[in-house]
Amino acid sequence: MERETQNAIDRRIVERYTDQPARMPVAAREAVEGAWGGRPVQLYALIDLDAGMRLDEAWLALGESQVAIARRPTQRGTPRASDSVDETWEAQTFPRERLQAIRETPGLSGNTLTFLGVPDEPALAVVRYTHRQRRAVENVRFVLEQELEGRSVPTGDADDAYAASVAAPIREAQALVAGKQGAVLWRLLSYLGRYRGQVILGFVAATIITGVSLVPPWLAGYLIDEVVRPVQDGVMSVEDGTTVAWLMVAAMAVVYLVRQASALIRLRYLAILGEWVARDLRTELYEHLQRLSLGFYSRKKTGSLITRVSSDTDRLWDFLAFGVVDASLSAVMLMGLSAVLLSLDWKLGLVMVVPVPLFCWSIYKHGEHMNRFFIRAWRKWSRVTDILSDTIPGMRVVKAFNQEERETGRFNERNVDVTDEFNRIHQSWTTFWPVLMLAVHATTVAVWAFAMPRLLGEPNAEPSLSAGTFVSFLLYTTMFIGPMEVIGQIARTVQRATTSAHRVFEVLDTEPEIVDRPDPVRLEPIEGQVAFEDVSFGYDGVRQVLRGVSFAVKPGEMIGLVGPSGGGKTTVTNLIARFYDVTAGRVAIDGVDVRELDTGHLRRQIGIVLQEPYLFHGSVTDNIRYGHPEATPERVIEAAKAANAHDFIVKLPLGYDTIVGERGQNLSGGERQRVSIARAILHDPRILILDEATSAVDTETERNIQEAMDRLVAGRTVFAIAHRLSTLHKASRLFVMKEGRLVESGTHEELLAEPDGVYAKLHGLQMQLAVG
Amino acid sequence: MIRLSEKYQGLAELTLERRTDGQLWASGDDWAKPVRVHRCFPWSEPGRFLSLRDDDGEVALVGGLDELDDPSRRVLESAIAEAGFVLEVTRIMNVEEEVEIRTWEVETRQGPRIFQTRLDDWPTTVPGGGIVIRDVAGDLYHVADPTGLDGKSRKWLWAFVD
Repeated sequence: MERETQNAIDRRIVERYTDQPARMPVAAREAVEGAWGGRPVQLYALIDLDAGMRLDEAWLALGESQVAIARRPTQRGTPRASDSVDETWEAQTFPRERLQAIRETPGLSGNTLTFLGVPDEPALAVVRYTHRQRRAVENVRFVLEQELEGRSVPTGDADDAYAASVAAPIREAQALVAGKQGAVLWRLLSYLGRYRGQVILGFVAATIITGVSLVPPWLAGYLIDEVVRPVQDGVMSVEDGTTVAWLMVAAMAVVYLVRQASALIRLRYLAILGEWVARDLRTELYEHLQRLSLGFYSRKKTGSLITRVSSDTDRLWDFLAFGVVDASLSAVMLMGLSAVLLSLDWKLGLVMVVPVPLFCWSIYKHGEHMNRFFIRAWRKWSRVTDILSDTIPGMRVVKAFNQEERETGRFNERNVDVTDEFNRIHQSWTTFWPVLMLAVHATTVAVWAFAMPRLLGEPNAEPSLSAGTFVSFLLYTTMFIGPMEVIGQIARTVQRATTSAHRVFEVLDTEPEIVDRPDPVRLEPIEGQVAFEDVSFGYDGVRQVLRGVSFAVKPGEMIGLVGPSGGGKTTVTNLIARFYDVTAGRVAIDGVDVRELDTGHLRRQIGIVLQEPYLFHGSVTDNIRYGHPEATPERVIEAAKAANAHDFIVKLPLGYDTIVGERGQNLSGGERQRVSIARAILHDPRILILDEATSAVDTETERNIQEAMDRLVAGRTVFAIAHRLSTLHKASRLFVMKEGRLVESGTHEELLAEPDGVYAKLHGLQMQLAVG
Repeated sequence: MIRLSEKYQGLAELTLERRTDGQLWASGDDWAKPVRVHRCFPWSEPGRFLSLRDDDGEVALVGGLDELDDPSRRVLESAIAEAGFVLEVTRIMNVEEEVEIRTWEVETRQGPRIFQTRLDDWPTTVPGGGIVIRDVAGDLYHVADPTGLDGKSRKWLWAFVD
């Protein structure tokens, strides 16, 4: 069910955000399958460039034993989202068995894939496509290349694979399909549900504020018409007038008292309520972030995730605490005011009420207009912050190259630029609001102009408008401005809130890619046997980082992973720890596929020491016992001693209680490394991964670390990645990785016996360097 | 300046041809191999410093097209046109913002196209002139002369160019 939903979302993304079909047109598919004698299309990709590099629509299709390219015979122009069956397609096909090689020539935006048959004969086919189609084309290419290497790869549903490939970059930029603003808003408001009591109280208080705000102007009018004028005209006695007037004053006092008491309740309850909701969202977000797989973190920028937990939840607090109530009550206020004005005097009321929608609309339009200014200012602001985030961490380089003046000049130029942009914004709004207020005041003047003749009355006739009504009217008119402003900006407020909500829900709705099956296996204890069976893997779905890697490692063996950078060494270790799942093949621990294991339990048996050890802000002790918070001081010291860390730690003024600082910055590289080894020793893993653990330290420190490592690796299955081959002297076997393949394996001596081998060459080079 | 990689030094002049298999082949006296062309400065020096490479690394670095004989030059010209292909924007019909992404509806020299950029991924100015917009899939859209676009396009683009 979940899969279906994801596929449906992918298709919706393709339909909504691109101008290409969400699946291969039926007619094109029929043409291909017809040419194949009815055999089905297993995978396909859109080929969106023609030979002249114009946008086009052709389809690359993969069948059980054939490859085809479907084109429209006389087509020209652009891919369109159509699925019509009456189009004619021509399929150019060739058998898979004729394929001998596939060659991709990547370009800035156009890639070329050449299907090569017999050397020196014309290529079987050549297709060109933009990066948008690259993942889908890569799916086809992967299956064919695996076949060339003698492996068969099962293919899933062709439509799903295509839609997922095209939608992936958009989904990665925006996991939710936007547009369901109402649904997002509703979901956000549902967070208020558990605080129903407070919400009702806040709303009631806000309603009272709105209601009683209408009373003072009415009282003023009543006082003039029913007390002041009758007393002045001698119709009412001064005593009676005084009594009623004081009652009015008292009523006024009560009104303000009630209003402010309600304001207090409203502000306090809703502010607190907003904080609770923001807290709930933050907790939920952080819990969910902990569950997400590493793949998610490689796709999202850290800053963007921090913003979601901090600023976005804060913005939602503001919206829930005040935005919702302000917006709804402003609408009520505007309607209430209009009703009161029309009931007081409908003619004057119309003069005041009719322009209100126009004012609200102009505020809305002004907001839209300002949006362009804000985008421009935001872009220029990011240029300013770019310099800061570039130069402050790189200040040593700036100083070393004596570039302070140039950097200051660069910053000043951008600073002036962004200031101009902000001033442009100020110029716009400082013009708009006075003009708008002038229009509002013009309405008030119009009210005066209409009211005057009726206030004064015709000769020998009673005035048709009382002074009290007029005064009430004027007081009410001043109350229009606030709600108008809120209503005019409501679209922007809601948009900002839904954007934040979207960003928060996007994280909450992302499912971890690594999920345990319902009844996972727990290996107790893990022996430490590790096997890769024909494993292929790519991080981005385009580039295969591992291609058909197979090996078996016995418990207690130490394996040195060597080879050029980008060869796939770290990826091997990532798959052992099941940070990612394989694309093809299987990784087994003690004979059981890691996808069947309890991931948490598996990782508790795996220790990792990285080139750049990551220490958390806290004491040395906290870091050593990160995996075992319950470890006793004795065990912590024992681990530190085994890691050759004890001596330097006790020399620190605060010993094991020393705060290591953010990422361990208060310690040197070698010290951080030894703390991380102590952490791994205390963790006591069955399988240990050492990723370039000694590469960033001096010789003396390296010797210390090497000693510690020797103690650490004893009795465990170890995978050690190293560029310096000398650090792998204890390895039982060496695996040489190159371009995603395991190209050589064996002991140091065995590998050296192959003089043309990759290892022998690497070793030769390092020996030359060592000799100098 | 054609600088052949060390292993091909001392060999005859470089010639380039597009063979029947559709690939670009570089050859010398007694060697020939399929190569790909990479431009060292795709924006600032598009026709110079062209690195011809195979899977093992650089075969030759061609300083400029005029250093090759006519047939080789024509072959290399077409190869760099292909490698440097970007969509050339001629008109902007709409730019719309949504959560996290901005959708552009444009007319390009190659045909109409709708694409998305991340909200914080701004168009960049390129040394050769104009601006370039990178979409979420990595495709590049070049606006060679933003001031030469029609008024409506310029209005859409205003917020994104200086």
